[in-house]
Amino acid sequence: MSIKTLKTFFVVAASAVLFFAAVPSFAKEAPKVITIGTLYASSGPFATSSTSQYEGLKFWVSQVNKHGGVFVKAFNKKIPVKLAAYDDQSQTATAGMLYNQLITRDRVDMLVSDFGSVLTSVAVPLAKVHKILLFDPTGTAAKFFTPDNQFVVLCSLPTSGIWPYALADFLVQKKIPRVAIVYSSNDFNQSQAVTLHDKLVKAGINPVYYEAVPTNTSNYSVLLHSIQATKPDAVIEFGFVPNDIAFLQGLQASALKFKMVFTIFPGQQFDLIKKNVGAKALYYTYTYPTPPLLKYSDINYGPSLDKFEKAYKATGKKVDFLVVAGYNTGLIMQKTLETATGFDQSQFRKAVADFSGKVKTLDGQFEVDAAGAQTGEMLPVAQFVPKGAGGIGMTIVYPKALKTGSEVYPAP
Amino acid sequence: MLKKYFPSLGVILAIVAIFIGLPHFYDNQSFLFNLMLYLALAEGLNIIYGFTGYLPFGYVGFFGAGAYGGAIAITLLHISPLLGVLVGGVVAVLTGVILIPLLRLSGAYFAIANLAASQALYLVVANPSLEKITQGPYGIDLSSVYNANAGYFAMLGVLVFAMALVAYLRNSNFGLSLLAIKEDRVTASLAGVNVIRARSIAWMLSAFVAGMSGAVFGWYTAVFYPSTVFSLDVSVFTIVFVLFGGIASVAGPLIGALILYSMYNFIGISTPQYFQLFYGLLIVLLVLFLPDGVVSLLKKGKVYVP
Repeated sequence: MSIKTLKTFFVVAASAVLFFAAVPSFAKEAPKVITIGTLYASSGPFATSSTSQYEGLKFWVSQVNKHGGVFVKAFNKKIPVKLAAYDDQSQTATAGMLYNQLITRDRVDMLVSDFGSVLTSVAVPLAKVHKILLFDPTGTAAKFFTPDNQFVVLCSLPTSGIWPYALADFLVQKKIPRVAIVYSSNDFNQSQAVTLHDKLVKAGINPVYYEAVPTNTSNYSVLLHSIQATKPDAVIEFGFVPNDIAFLQGLQASALKFKMVFTIFPGQQFDLIKKNVGAKALYYTYTYPTPPLLKYSDINYGPSLDKFEKAYKATGKKVDFLVVAGYNTGLIMQKTLETATGFDQSQFRKAVADFSGKVKTLDGQFEVDAAGAQTGEMLPVAQFVPKGAGGIGMTIVYPKALKTGSEVYPAP
Repeated sequence: MLKKYFPSLGVILAIVAIFIGLPHFYDNQSFLFNLMLYLALAEGLNIIYGFTGYLPFGYVGFFGAGAYGGAIAITLLHISPLLGVLVGGVVAVLTGVILIPLLRLSGAYFAIANLAASQALYLVVANPSLEKITQGPYGIDLSSVYNANAGYFAMLGVLVFAMALVAYLRNSNFGLSLLAIKEDRVTASLAGVNVIRARSIAWMLSAFVAGMSGAVFGWYTAVFYPSTVFSLDVSVFTIVFVLFGGIASVAGPLIGALILYSMYNFIGISTPQYFQLFYGLLIVLLVLFLPDGVVSLLKKGKVYVP
């Protein structure tokens, strides 16, 4: 073999190596359809929330398919999306088996977890082992997001520990000296209570009441009188929807008055809670407002809330926060596919890291830390106020950037 | 002497071969794991219910105690997960020892008292004041030792142990004495059976199997909450599987769990809306026409059921 032939051989070989290294994505054939796997609960304790989240995700699928599918940068073309969904009936063991079914049998391209931390908990280790990126809409437990796990991304809510940041700042800024905190004993509520407690103590406010109650507490009347005995100015109740309903009902029945009362879920499940406790019970109480009660401006990705509401209402269903959360998860996956230069899970994760902090959707700023925990979305503080005859409105009172009015404090 | 164990040994070897071979043909390891879990629990329940007639509605209490016992040992004492599985079994046995006085009750009274005990245990474990030990209601995280394949084979080990125990009871004098207790405690006692000792041993063996199963489940799941491992669904599923298959044999609970759990998953996945109706009808028909379970059909046909 002559030197010239050898040189030619090396040039051709090097060119081939460079070509395949430079355009690895085109080496893979584009799939006919992008399969997204998810679970929902049609029965059991998580059914109401899970179904809403699932409806939001389904709506996103229908919207992208209406426009010919989702643009996949790795293949430089639009590809239709298919949703593979199973019913876990709110059972974790069943959910674990079904997540595995989606990963190993259905070989989905992208995986979305069911609502909340309990049903997400079984998906996190499976995603890690099978090296598939888990798009987690609402599983906010901090323990899911560890530096050694690169396969989970929280999409539509911040981790629960940072929810009360604005609330704590508001209490400190208002110089409310006597704060009572009662929380349901579960991961979600405890992490919020701990954050709030620590921030208040740091600011020199020692909560006058700080107690956990069982998550299945349905009667707060005795507790309310115990809280009253500590003479608090503000009463903060962290619970799930049934806790908030029971607490607000108990408060109304007891005729006790506090200068400020805060509960979580009226800002997320407004219609449901209003139906159960009545508008009057919500007057002058505070909450974390979320879309559709909260409208973000300067959205740079996906539709505005108004456009989304209009399109979604055309299906004959009502928008609540979890519908937005499910839809927003779809948007984050869409952005991932539009950004990822390769069609594999590590490229998806890299894409998420690339657009983190640069995307603002109808659900707010999308920003995740190195472990995949959501840090961009922030939950402001809002107050419900009477509006018209028997009606109810909402004023965002903190932070300043989102403020729509001043709080009525103390509550009349 | 050992010849009488051969049919049971055949069943055990077949089950081992199935669960070693199946992952090569079927990818969903979690389904196979859950199937083994319920097979082991069904055999564990069979020890106390099938041989002595005590039906523990709160059987899940042992399962949860084992899951937490194993997980706490792994997280606080930093022992290996396999040792944690054994600790889980031991914790469940200790729970069983505390609950031995319940065996003085019988029938529905025992079932209800046992159910209450399991719920009391759940509330103790989920108590926020015990956060430093049990993590209270906030869930326990074993992701640092998560190993799906090791967990799978540990579950197979527990299942083999449970089947071997039942095979022993099926073919030994001790098993016969338990069956005598089931028929009539007083007569058994008069015939020389130490009723209290025998039923207590069966109770603790049953607890040991459930505890080890719970510990492996916790290891395999990695992150779990008290509501997950003390869920009454675990008791209900196990009891139904045992009743469906038939009691006091190695094969009965295996048949029940294999058929019903597979059906639960395949119908539950394809047509979840019809699943509960189908399952309910099946159980009604079973109670009406096959009260002694599917194995009674084989027994009627003079087929020996190991």
